[in-house]
Amino acid sequence: MASRFWTSQGGSDSEDDDSDYGDEIENEVSADAGNVGNNMKNKYIDDGNDSDGDDSDGKKRVVRSAKDKRFEEMSATVDQMKNAMKINDWVSLQESFDKINKQLEKVMRVTESEKVPNLYIKTLVMLEDFLSQTLANKDAKKKMSSSNAKALNSMKQKLKKNNKQYEDMIIKCRENLESEEERDEDEDEDEDEETDSEIEEDPTKIEFKDSEDEDDDDDDKFGDSQDDDDGQWEKKMSKKDKLMDKQFKNPSEITWDTVNKKFKEVVAARGRKGTGRFEQVEQLTFLTKVAKTPAQKLEILFSVVSAQFDVNPGLNGYMPINVWKKCVQNMLVILDILVQYPNIVVDDMVEPDENETQKGPEYNGTIRVWGNLVAFVEKIDTEFFKSLQCIDPHTREYVERLRDEPMFSVLAQNVQDYLERVGNLKAAAKVALKRVELIYYKPQEVYDAMRKLAEQTGDGDNGEAGEEPKVIEESRGPSAFVVTPELVPRKATFPTNSRTHMDFLVSLIYKFGDERTKARSMLCDIYHHALLDEFSTSRDLLLMSHLQESIQHMDISTQILFNRAMAQLGLCAFRVGLITEGHGCLSELYSGGRVKELLAQGVSQSRYHEKTPEQERIERRRQMPYHMHINLELLEAVHLICAMLLEVPNMAANIHDAKRKVISKTFRRLLEVSERQTFTGPPENVRDHIMAASRALSKGDFEKAFDVIKSLDAWKLLRNRENVLAMLKAKIKEEALRTYLFTYSSSYDSLSLDQLTKLFDLSDAQTHSIVSKMMINEELHASWDQPTQCIVFHDVEHTRLQALAFQFTEKLSVLADSNERAIEARLGGGSLDLPQRRRENQDYAAGTAAPGGRWQENLSFTQGRQGGGTGRTGYGGGGRPFPLSQAAGGGYSRDRTGQSRGGGYQGTRYQGAAYGGSGRSAYQSGSAVRGSQIDTSTRLVSLHRGIHA
Amino acid sequence: MANTNTTTTTMARSFLQVAATEEVASPLRVVQIEGLVILKIIKHCKEFSPALVTGQLLGLDVGSVLELTNCFPFPIREEDEENEAEGANYQLDMMKCLREVNVDNNTVGWYQSTLLGSFQTVELIETFMNYQENIRRCVCIIYDPSRSNQGVLALKALKLSDSFMELYRSNNFTGEKLREKNLSWVDIFEEIPIKVSNSALISAFMTELEADTPVTQCDYDRLQLSSNPFLERNMEFLIECMDDLSMEQQKFQFYYRSLSRQQSQQQAWLQKRRAENAARKAAGEEPLPEEDPANPIFKPVPEPSRLDSFLITNQMANYCNQINGELVNQKP
Repeated sequence: MASRFWTSQGGSDSEDDDSDYGDEIENEVSADAGNVGNNMKNKYIDDGNDSDGDDSDGKKRVVRSAKDKRFEEMSATVDQMKNAMKINDWVSLQESFDKINKQLEKVMRVTESEKVPNLYIKTLVMLEDFLSQTLANKDAKKKMSSSNAKALNSMKQKLKKNNKQYEDMIIKCRENLESEEERDEDEDEDEDEETDSEIEEDPTKIEFKDSEDEDDDDDDKFGDSQDDDDGQWEKKMSKKDKLMDKQFKNPSEITWDTVNKKFKEVVAARGRKGTGRFEQVEQLTFLTKVAKTPAQKLEILFSVVSAQFDVNPGLNGYMPINVWKKCVQNMLVILDILVQYPNIVVDDMVEPDENETQKGPEYNGTIRVWGNLVAFVEKIDTEFFKSLQCIDPHTREYVERLRDEPMFSVLAQNVQDYLERVGNLKAAAKVALKRVELIYYKPQEVYDAMRKLAEQTGDGDNGEAGEEPKVIEESRGPSAFVVTPELVPRKATFPTNSRTHMDFLVSLIYKFGDERTKARSMLCDIYHHALLDEFSTSRDLLLMSHLQESIQHMDISTQILFNRAMAQLGLCAFRVGLITEGHGCLSELYSGGRVKELLAQGVSQSRYHEKTPEQERIERRRQMPYHMHINLELLEAVHLICAMLLEVPNMAANIHDAKRKVISKTFRRLLEVSERQTFTGPPENVRDHIMAASRALSKGDFEKAFDVIKSLDAWKLLRNRENVLAMLKAKIKEEALRTYLFTYSSSYDSLSLDQLTKLFDLSDAQTHSIVSKMMINEELHASWDQPTQCIVFHDVEHTRLQALAFQFTEKLSVLADSNERAIEARLGGGSLDLPQRRRENQDYAAGTAAPGGRWQENLSFTQGRQGGGTGRTGYGGGGRPFPLSQAAGGGYSRDRTGQSRGGGYQGTRYQGAAYGGSGRSAYQSGSAVRGSQIDTSTRLVSLHRGIHA
Repeated sequence: MANTNTTTTTMARSFLQVAATEEVASPLRVVQIEGLVILKIIKHCKEFSPALVTGQLLGLDVGSVLELTNCFPFPIREEDEENEAEGANYQLDMMKCLREVNVDNNTVGWYQSTLLGSFQTVELIETFMNYQENIRRCVCIIYDPSRSNQGVLALKALKLSDSFMELYRSNNFTGEKLREKNLSWVDIFEEIPIKVSNSALISAFMTELEADTPVTQCDYDRLQLSSNPFLERNMEFLIECMDDLSMEQQKFQFYYRSLSRQQSQQQAWLQKRRAENAARKAAGEEPLPEEDPANPIFKPVPEPSRLDSFLITNQMANYCNQINGELVNQKP
């Protein structure tokens, strides 16, 4: 039986809790059996009670036969036991006892009730009586055979252990036997009578068990009475107080010792089976009132708080809100005491002296009390967080719960102040972090709202918080011995600006916090800066802290915070118009398609591998409460728009080998999917919108693109929506112009600036600068014709062959590179762990080109020189250390020279080009050379084509 | 009619020769092809281009000369096992029929068409090995219709080199073995010169047909200047090969990495074992053996085969030659 209970406790605490309650309620009912309960269950139990073990013969039940069988088995065993008792055979008695326990389990399963059958309890009583008789009879004991004596001893222990579970029932059973006739009285009297009978019964009990010492018995008795009102604590608070009063009848008699003893008792009962969690809190609260010294009160208060944490032991549920509130109040009282008596030191390092708390208020030395304020604050915060996780965010309850936030911030503030005063700055930093975590995600408006709420409710709360305990104290029992005035402010004070508040807290943490605290607060800081559109500040913070490198080694909740900060940073970059940066921040979040999971804003289910329930539970515990969420729709929109603005012109620029330079794989994939659709309907979700816009943009139709994007719902979530949209429009225009030029430049011979300006609704200067930039970057092979304000296009599109040749050389160089490395490894030169190209800071290094691009650049440049007839065959001019590469380079250059025919011819070409491009910088002329060279070959080829066609 | 005549005459001669030279087994020096066979091959391949087709070569093995006197196409194979059996049946039936009409029905190899010389595959080698099992001297004629468009007769007679075949049979293409045999990628295939032979009658007829003036004799095909698509295709194939080669390279890198890891593991294990042995020696016990074959760290890491990379290299060399040839062609 015992094992059943204990194992079930391991499984789920709440269930155990329920069964506890069930037991108690039933006990109560069986105690006043005349007084039939209202519900069916009680009726049934009641019936069973009346027929006393004959079980429910009269009842028609589905499982009746099985149940009857079990009961028959049980009663057979009881008969066996009776027989064994007659001959004083403890060995067989022990066997029977084990058997009956097993049968009991079966019976319980069959009847599906929590109630232990009366037959069993009766047997227990019988056994107990017999045991005590036998023990009392010392002569008989001596005469026993050794095996019998052994069995007796083990039986004694077993029974004691076993009976503890059913203590109350046993008592009731005894009562039933004794005071059956007094049953019909009404409830109140019954209760009184019950306690009386208990006391009456005590002597008899003592008679039976002389071997047990007095103290133990006393303890039992207290436990009994406690358990007794366990089930009734809600209804019969007064009775409980009465009981307490019995213990501390006379205030003058109460000494430190009695309180301490009682306190130890109660604390020792913690976590034990049959100890109601709620009423342990009640008892402890009562004890705080009778505490003799402030230190003792403090000690007891600490226990109260931890008992309150125990109220909900499960990992998934949360602490009841009223208990949470009381808990916060208790914490404040603790602070009051600590402030009032500065000589009391709270410490969790050393085990304090037993009687440390005896020292009264007049004692001047330091008094050490065991406790950990920070842990409590953190626990309270966790409970608050958990409650917000669990409550449905669309209910009023959630909002109500959110209103409790100032309460916690008051507490945190006070604890922090106290810790700072005491000099424990490390702990203060931890508490400060909790405060930071409360405000970092709040924009100024929300912060203001919270501040106002705190100021308003602060008044209300103050009254409430102040009054409530007092009222209770007065109404119940004696007033507290140690009166603690409210010294700690009950009202939160916030600076008007959330930023200054953050700065204040964060600077404290940076100074004194440990690594994790610092990292977390840094992330919060970054988040908050990003929230306030201070992109550069938050970016600098992120880069300086080097969190990107170390974040992999941190705990998951910090990683989530990091993801949140990155997401917010991306949004911020977008708002201030930094598209590349924004994309850099967000692309990683979206690369795996698990945004929800990464931001802990919902559980994403993957089709391919099922999560175990355990994993799911853990994940659910990580979720962010709803009010802290970053809007996913907005985030997705921003990410895709950034990707679109970068990718669409990029795709237009690299038609030949579209696969080479991919900026956003996610975007490409989505675009492919949307292009594969046979019919494209009007856009519905964010993705559709962006895809529609991309299609428009790729044709250079900026107006349509912008209109589609503007129609997104998510924009209303932005604070300065107008500005952002204006920025977006400008960006779209710009990219549309670029895309247009990329796509259609081959169709034009020249294009006037006016035309472009009109087409894209841009100013002359803007258009000019964009086009010029494209020319300088060699994206557009064209030149300005200043007098006519025209762009003259050079027909310098690479032929397919040339593009392929480029691709091939690129591949060659890669191959040569890795060959080199392989040989190096073979010769034992370097380690084989090839240095991975680190992607760090890639997001911000706007100018860094992809490795492929670099090759391309390098190559084209040397080509240009070669073509110019400078006579250098320096493809391998990079000065690579290994001879092999040189050979490869040499081979290549030979090829090239073989291909370029006639230096003189090139020379003239070069001059011509130089002439045409006079007045340009050297670099540009170089590019012009290349252009012209390619130009000639293309012309040649197109000529051929013409002939062929 | 003239054709059948010549075949019979050559046959009579070759029987004699075969009888005389059977024991010597001199190396194959020349492949002598009948003009008609070439025409048949070209026709077959060109008709089905760009699909790749194959056919059977029939002829006689005469000393150092392999005479190809006839051929017949295989039906286009579909990816089906049934069809494969059908193909074999077709082949047998065809041979039977040919024997009945008294044509050479001695299989000496097969011909196949290719696209821009992309024929160096493992499959080709496998087929070759299959043929080689039955026929001592076997040859593969490869015809490239796409290249022939450029004005060259892209006809090649190939066989596998003896040393390669030996190696292939043992299926052991580790670096060590290759070095031992002194075999490099060039030595996989051997190209055998082709000699076209016609009966005297046909030669006479051809002279009849020949134009009088050298002006009209010139090769018009060579004037085709649109070499670009051809170059592009070659380039594409080259790039593909490059990718494959990189893959092969990665395989080797992986191999070396795991090899070095294993070696260090072995070293560590050995050191431990030695220390243990020293301790045992001190305690007067028998030392444990320094090799433990049961230990997984002593299981040799399989070295990746070099065959693929050899073939790819071969292929690339082929493409490069084609490109070069094209450029030479094009040079004014």
